[in-house]
Amino acid sequence: MNNSEQGYGARLKEEVIDPGFCSVCGACVGFCPYIKTFGERVGVIHDCKVCEGVCYRVCPRSPTQYHVLRQEVFGASEHDPVFGAYKAICFARAGSEHLRSRGQYGGVVTALVTFALKQGIIDGALMTGGNFTKAIPTLVSSVSDALQCAGSKYTSSPTLGLFQEAVKEGYQKIGVVGRPCQITACRKIQKASEISGGKISLVIGLFCMGSLLPEFYSFLKENHLDRYERMDIPKDILFQGAGGDVMIPFEDVRRFIRLSCLSCYDPLSELADVSVGSTEHDPGWNTLIVRTAKGMDMVEKARFTGDIETKAYPPDLLNVLREAVFNRKKRVLECPESMYLDVPPREKDYFLTAGGDA
Amino acid sequence: MKDPLNLAITGVGGQGNILVSEILAKAASAVGLKVTVGESYGMSQRGGSVSSHIRISRKSLYGPIIPKGCADIIVAFEPVEAARAALELGSPRVKIIVNPRPVYPVDVQMGKYNYPEIGALLKIFKEISAQALIIESTDLALQAGDPVVQNIVMVGALAGSGYLPIANEIFKKVITEVVPQKALRMNLNAYEMGFAKTNGLVNEAKSGVCPITVP
Amino acid sequence: MHKMGWQDVIEGRPGDRVLLNGNEAIARGALEAGVRYASSYPGSPSSEIVQTLSKVPDSELYAEWSVNEIVSLEGATAASFAGLRAICVMKADGLNVALDFLTSMNLGGCKGGLVVTVADDPQGHSSVKEYDSRYLAKAAMVPVLEPSTVEEARAMAIAAFNFSEQIKGPVILRSVTRISHSRGLVELGKSVREDKTASLPAGDRFLTKTIFHMKARDRLIKAAGIFEDCGFNYSEGPDKADTAVFCSGTSLLYAREAIETLGLNDEIKLVKVGTTFPLPEKFILSHLRGLKNAIFAEEVRSFIEEGIVLLYARNNLGKICFYGKLSGDVAGVRGPACGEMNVDIMIKALAKVYGIHYEAPGYTPEKTAELSALVPPREYAMCPGCPHRASFWAVKTAIAVDGRNSIVAGDIGCYCLGAWDTGFNLFDTLHCMGAGPGIASGLSKLGRFGLKRPTVTIVGDSTFYHAVIPGLINGQYSGSDYLCVVLDNSVTAMTGHQPHPGSGISVYGRPVNAIKIEDIVRGLGIPCKIVDPYDNFLAAETICAMVREPGIKVLIFRRECALVAARKQRRKRRVYVDQSLCRGDACGCGRFCVSVWGCPGNIWDHKTGKANIDEAVCAGCGVCASLCPAGAIVVEEVE
Repeated sequence: MNNSEQGYGARLKEEVIDPGFCSVCGACVGFCPYIKTFGERVGVIHDCKVCEGVCYRVCPRSPTQYHVLRQEVFGASEHDPVFGAYKAICFARAGSEHLRSRGQYGGVVTALVTFALKQGIIDGALMTGGNFTKAIPTLVSSVSDALQCAGSKYTSSPTLGLFQEAVKEGYQKIGVVGRPCQITACRKIQKASEISGGKISLVIGLFCMGSLLPEFYSFLKENHLDRYERMDIPKDILFQGAGGDVMIPFEDVRRFIRLSCLSCYDPLSELADVSVGSTEHDPGWNTLIVRTAKGMDMVEKARFTGDIETKAYPPDLLNVLREAVFNRKKRVLECPESMYLDVPPREKDYFLTAGGDA
Repeated sequence: MKDPLNLAITGVGGQGNILVSEILAKAASAVGLKVTVGESYGMSQRGGSVSSHIRISRKSLYGPIIPKGCADIIVAFEPVEAARAALELGSPRVKIIVNPRPVYPVDVQMGKYNYPEIGALLKIFKEISAQALIIESTDLALQAGDPVVQNIVMVGALAGSGYLPIANEIFKKVITEVVPQKALRMNLNAYEMGFAKTNGLVNEAKSGVCPITVP
Repeated sequence: MHKMGWQDVIEGRPGDRVLLNGNEAIARGALEAGVRYASSYPGSPSSEIVQTLSKVPDSELYAEWSVNEIVSLEGATAASFAGLRAICVMKADGLNVALDFLTSMNLGGCKGGLVVTVADDPQGHSSVKEYDSRYLAKAAMVPVLEPSTVEEARAMAIAAFNFSEQIKGPVILRSVTRISHSRGLVELGKSVREDKTASLPAGDRFLTKTIFHMKARDRLIKAAGIFEDCGFNYSEGPDKADTAVFCSGTSLLYAREAIETLGLNDEIKLVKVGTTFPLPEKFILSHLRGLKNAIFAEEVRSFIEEGIVLLYARNNLGKICFYGKLSGDVAGVRGPACGEMNVDIMIKALAKVYGIHYEAPGYTPEKTAELSALVPPREYAMCPGCPHRASFWAVKTAIAVDGRNSIVAGDIGCYCLGAWDTGFNLFDTLHCMGAGPGIASGLSKLGRFGLKRPTVTIVGDSTFYHAVIPGLINGQYSGSDYLCVVLDNSVTAMTGHQPHPGSGISVYGRPVNAIKIEDIVRGLGIPCKIVDPYDNFLAAETICAMVREPGIKVLIFRRECALVAARKQRRKRRVYVDQSLCRGDACGCGRFCVSVWGCPGNIWDHKTGKANIDEAVCAGCGVCASLCPAGAIVVEEVE
C-alpha cells in the first residue's frame, strides 16, 4: 500500500465535489463505507486508496466520453446532435385518469414504471418520493409504492445511492428514474460488474434544466412557501395550494441552481431508454422521447395495453424545443466548467460554429 | 537471590497488569522482602503498552523504575510487549516468560506497521535471554473459564518457575486476598495451570534440557 | 478473605505494615491527621486519594467529587475556616484552575490544616502536559512538600496539616505519578478519630486585601524556619565530600541507585530536600560549603536548582560547579527539563562529572537493531466498543458530507484521542478542559475577516460541568455560531469512572438527582438534541443538519462508557463475521473494519483473507456491523 498516492476517493473529492460539480446523483454512494450522503450533499469521508476507484468511474462528472457511452447504448444508430439518438418523439400521457391527476403533467413516468413492474420488465425501481419540500430516494417494488413517487421534485435526490441496497435485497432487474446525470451514471454503473451494475435493466430519463441546492429548502421555509401543495416552473415559479396560488420570479431562485447543472450538456437524458419531460404547452401531456429498442418495445406494449396514450408532436413545437436545447448545449460548451466533457470535435463545431444557423 | 531482583510485568492496557503487580508485591512483602512497584496508569485502559516494574530487595528500598538493561525477569502478556521490554530492560541474563498470543496495535491494524512473525520473535527471545518460557496463557485461561484470567495463569507460571524465592502457598494466599470471592475458584485454577506448566519446564532446565518451547 | 485496596487504608491498625500506593498512603496520612473534609476533581494520577477517603463513613469525613478544582478548593478551605482539617486533591492541570482562589485565599490565610495535594505527571503518562506545579505554588506563595517514597508520602501528609496550622495558611503536598502510582510498604500510625466540631465564631473573617501579601510573605518566612528542622531534609553518605547531589522527590532513589551502581558511595553526598519551597536555606548552605560539584536531581524543571544557585550567589562559598537542567548535564532522551527522571539519567550525569565510562547492561547494537526492527509502536487506542469511536466517525462523516471543511476544536478526556489515529485525527485544536467551546466561539467570529470554515467542538460530559458552561454562556451572549458535541458516557471515564453531576450517583455511590446536560443547555436558550452515537447514520445525519443551523447548537451523544457497560451487563451481544458475505480484499472497502475503523475487536483473518471479530475483546456494540458495506458483520443477541 502506497500511502502517498492519492486515491480515487480523494480525486472524486478534489475534482468533482469540492469545486461544486457534484450533482448528488448518488452513484458513488452505498458500496463502500467512505462515501455518504445526507441532506442532498455527498462527502468522501476517507480516501480509501483502493485503486479500482468504482466511485470515480461511475461518477457522471468524472471525465466522460459521451460518444463512447452513446456507442455502447445505441450502437451505430443515427444520432441527432440536439436531441440525441431517438426512435420517436411524441406527446404522451398516462392512460389512467387517476395517474394523470397524481403526476406533474401527463403522469407518463409513473405509468411506465408501473407498467414495467406489472410486466416483469423490472422487479424494482429507484425513484424519488416526497415532494418539492423534501426529495426522498425511494426503492419501489409495487405499483402503490411507485404512485407515492409521482410529481416533480426540483432538488437533487441522491436516488442512485439506493442501488446497492436494492442489490443486497436481491432485486435482479432494477429500473431507474432519474435526472440526466443519473442516467449517465446508470450507463457507467452498468459496466461495473464488481458492484453488480448489470442489474440495472431499464433507465427512464427526465428532462432537466438544472436542480436546486438544499439551501432552496431553507428559502422555502423562510418565505413560508413550504405550506403549498404543489410547485411548478412554467416560467416563473408557481406554488399552488388550497388557499390559493402564488407566483414568484425565477430570478429569486436562480442562485440555488447547482454549478454542476450549469455545466450539464445533457438536458434531455440522451442515454436513457426513454426520456420524459413536460411539453411546456399542455400540462395534461408529457413529451416522450423513445430512444432504445428496449424503450420502444416497452412503449409499444404500454400503448397496446392502454397504460399510456400518445399523440404526434406538433412540428412547430418540436422546433421550439430544438432551439431551446441547442442554445443550452451551445452555452455549456462555451463555459469552462464543462471540462469533464469529452465531446467529439465535429459535434462541438456543430454547436459552436456550423450549426449556428439551426 | 540477586539483590535487588528486578521484575518487569508488561502487556497491553486492560490485560490485568496492575492486579499482577499487586499480587507479586504482596507475596514478596509477605515473606519479609522490601518491595517497590512502579506503575503508570490512567490511560492504561486505552490499549497502550503498560508495564509495571517490581523491585525486590532484602536490604533497601529501590526506586520505581528499573534501570536500562537491569531486569532479571520479564513477564509479558503479549509477545511484542516482551520484545519492547527486553529492548529497554533486558540483557543476556534476563529470563522471559511470555504469552505468545498477539494483541495487534492499532497502527498494525491500520496497515502502517507490520506485526512480526511470532515464530521469529520467539526464536529471538531464546537468543537474547538466559531462559525463555512460552506460556499459552490465554488458551489456559479459556480452559479455566475466561480469557481475562490469562494474567493469573502467568502469575502461576512465574511462581512455578522458581525464579522468585516465594513459595506456592504464599501466592495462593495472596490471590485469595485480592481476587473477588465469586471468581476465586477460576483464578486459583488459572494459577495452578500456569504453575504446572513451568514447574515441569524449569526442572528440565535444571537437568540441562532446553526449556524453550517454540510452537 | 477478599480485601479491597482501600480497606488497608481505612481499617489498618497502627503498626501494621501494608502495601499501599502513594495516593493511598496520602489518604492514610490525612486520616491519621484527622482530616474531616476531602474534595477533588478527579485527575490522573491523583484520583485514588478521595476515592479511598470516600469509603470513610460520611459522619466522620465529608468527601466530594467536585465539578472542578476551584470549587473543590473553595469548599475545602471553608472547612479550614471552620477549624477543621481539610484536603483538596487535584492533578497538576488542576492547580491552575484553582489558582485564582488559591492566590487570594493564601493572602488572608486559613485556620484548620489545609493541604492542597497536587499530583504532577512528569512524562505525561496520562496527561497532555507535564508541567511543574511547583512554579505555580511559588507564584501563589504557598509552601511545598515533596515526598520521595510512598512511606514518606504518608508522613508528609500528616506533617503538612501541622505545618498549615502553624503558619495559618495552605500547604501544597506535591506528588508525582511515580509516587501516586507506585506501591511500597507503609507502616501505619494511629488515626485521629476523636470528635472535632466545626466552629466559625462571629468576627472570624477571612478576607483578601493587597496588603495581606505581607502576611503571605511572612508565612513563607515562618515556613522556612519550620522546615529547617522538620526531618524531611537530610543527607546520606560521607559528611565531607567534594560532590553532592541535591535531590527532591523520587529522584532521591534514582540518585542513590546511580551512586551505588557507579560505586561512588564514599565520594558523593546525597542531600535530600523534602521541603522544596521555601528552601531550608541553612540546611542547604551547610551542605554547599566546601563543595566542588553540586548536581541536581528533580522533576520536571530546575526548581530547587534555581533556588540553590541563587542561594550560592548570595553567599561567599568559593567555586562550585553546578550540574543540572540549567547546565544541560542532567537530561534524558528528551533533553533537560522534559520527561521524568530515572537511574540512567543520574548515572550519565555522575559518570560525566567523574569521567567514568559506564556501559549499561543490554545487547549488542546489532541485536538491538534486529529486535527494534521487529517491534511496532503501540499507540493508545480507544477501547473496544468505545462510544467515542462511533461519535468521532459520525463527526468525520458529517464534516465530509457537509463539505465546508469544518474546524474541530477538541478538549480533554479519553476523547482527546480524537487528535490521533485512533480518533481519525479529527481534532484541529487540543488544549485544556473547556478550551474547545472558547476556541470555537472565537473562530466563529472570524467570518467577517474571511474565515469561511464552520466550527465544531467536541467536549466530554465531565468536562461539560467542569469548564464548558461558561463558554456556552459566553458564546450565546456574544452571538457565536458553532456546534458543540457533548460526548456523554455517564461518568468521568478517563480517571477511573468517578461519578459526576449527570451520573445520578454521589461520591458515596448513593442515588442523587442527576443534573442533566440538556436541561442546562436548554436553560441557556441553546437548541439541544440527544442521539445515540451507536446509531451512527442518524448521528451523522443529525450533525449534518445541525451545523447548518445558525447560532450555537448542542448535540449530546449519549451512550454509556463501554467499560462501565461491560461491567454491568450479564447479557451480551455476540458479533461475528459471516465470512461468506465478507468480500475480503475484493471489496471496495479496503479492509475498513480493521484498517480504518480500528476497533481492537475487529481483526483480519489472514488465513481466509477476510474480516473477523476477536470475540475475546469485542464489546458487542455492533457499530462496525452497521458500517460494513457488505453487511458481513452479524449481531446476535445472546443470554
